[in-house]
Amino acid sequence: MSGMFNDVAVLPLMPVEDDHDTGGFFAAARRGELALRFCSECGQLLHLPRQVCFACGGARSEWRAVPGRGRVHAWTTVTHQVHPAFPTPYTVVLVDLEEIDARLVGSLPGEAELEVGQPVRVRFDRAPDGTTVPNWEVEA
Amino acid sequence: MSEALSHRDRCAIAGIGATEFSKDSGRSELTLAAQACRAALQDAGLTVADVDGVVSCDYDLVSYGAIADALGIADLTYWGQTGPGGSGPCAMVGQAVAAILSGQATTVLVYRALNGRSGRRYGLGAPDPDARVGGRGAYEEFFAPYGLVTPGQFFALLAQRHMSTYGTRYEALAEIALACREAANRNPAAQMHERALTLEQCLAARPISLPLRLFDFCLETDGACAVVVTSAERAADCAQPPVLVRAVAQSTGPRVQPGVMYPMLMRPDITVTPSQTVARTLFSRAGLGPSEVDVAQIYDCFTITVLLQLEDYGFCAKGEGGAFTESGALRPGGALPINTAGGNLSEGYVHGMNHVLEGVRQIRGTSTSQVTGAEVSLVTSAPPPGTSALLLVRG
Ligand SMILES: [Zn+2]
Repeated sequence: MSGMFNDVAVLPLMPVEDDHDTGGFFAAARRGELALRFCSECGQLLHLPRQVCFACGGARSEWRAVPGRGRVHAWTTVTHQVHPAFPTPYTVVLVDLEEIDARLVGSLPGEAELEVGQPVRVRFDRAPDGTTVPNWEVEA
Repeated sequence: MSEALSHRDRCAIAGIGATEFSKDSGRSELTLAAQACRAALQDAGLTVADVDGVVSCDYDLVSYGAIADALGIADLTYWGQTGPGGSGPCAMVGQAVAAILSGQATTVLVYRALNGRSGRRYGLGAPDPDARVGGRGAYEEFFAPYGLVTPGQFFALLAQRHMSTYGTRYEALAEIALACREAANRNPAAQMHERALTLEQCLAARPISLPLRLFDFCLETDGACAVVVTSAERAADCAQPPVLVRAVAQSTGPRVQPGVMYPMLMRPDITVTPSQTVARTLFSRAGLGPSEVDVAQIYDCFTITVLLQLEDYGFCAKGEGGAFTESGALRPGGALPINTAGGNLSEGYVHGMNHVLEGVRQIRGTSTSQVTGAEVSLVTSAPPPGTSALLLVRG
């Protein structure tokens, strides 16, 4: 499932993309895919991602694309600026994915008017060097 | 649980010591730590010659070698460290207990020293804008790119979810700040001793990360605290009435998640903290329950942190922390007076080590907000990722 790219002049903080356990998440984002890590042996979702499986003890796992839709779980509007890369106000949102028991984080501009359970969809914020971070926007 | 292996009532906190709490100590963390440790030894009627163990917090800049050398300890035979940060203090006492009961030490100094205002300020501890974030087990790459970069923002998410799920009012959070401030106003050593606070001020305060406002945030403090832990037998010969470690416990709970703090947001219910599972272990080890607790020092980096713990320790049901708090339970004479020296919110932010000292004072009967006849004193350390807690009783 390929999603919408949003080309930005700068990503405020760039993620490490080559970590053994988490790198596949950002590699998929560069392709416009939201992907999570699953155990290849027993199918257990391994989120936050790591290679080894707590359910079966296996060490083979794989990245699978998941639907880029979710619902608002919680949010905070940050009004006191502490980090130079993030001018206030902005709203940090926790998103529960649809169809799969996993949660991700997003960032919305300003004082977003949100409700718990509100539908959101993924968007891929892409920096000029190609580094891409999945983010979320309210369904129109 | 085998009685043979139980630590119940077998060790004691024999001495407590602290520096002044300020915005600028004018000296190093090492000096602060050494002064708090010497004060704790003097309080106990012990000397440096009695000390053979130290336990510190993983965030502390003062190493075991530095403190041993600064105090002139002849031979340190045990040193340990735990954390992260504010989740440490009760577990640090637990490590001292473990060292003593396993014969690795006889008298252990447990200390926490920081220049939290004039030195490194944790509230600004956000990532370097020029470096990539995450990797190597940090897991910040799932949080920091979205501007989730401070503990206050993290706890604001928990507060928002608790409010939307349970109808918790902001007034409940304000009441926690007010209860701590009232205690600080009676404690001459508290940073906020002379500063009054009203509900109106709380409600009108500058928003920081909504729903949290200025007075939902703890202080930033320069200072140090230390305690002396020894066997119950040795403590009986010390200068102060012994305060026994009835039980100590650590817990992560299930699916703790990697990283330090932000990954807890991936747990199914973000309004439940590992305090829920640590409480089970703690009360079971103590043979006591929440209804038998007379006074509590509840870790308060933020007001919401207290509210969640009140539920998780079983002082009220999940979701009822707001009503419990607004009933006045946390004030003197209430069902559960808390943070009777002022806590991190109004006494000083010594990362919860100050909570251990005040828990001891309540059993000794020397608090400036003494709960009359207090016999069971609870101290908690920060959740998450894991947490720790301590029950103190009279010797
Ligand atoms: Zn598996």
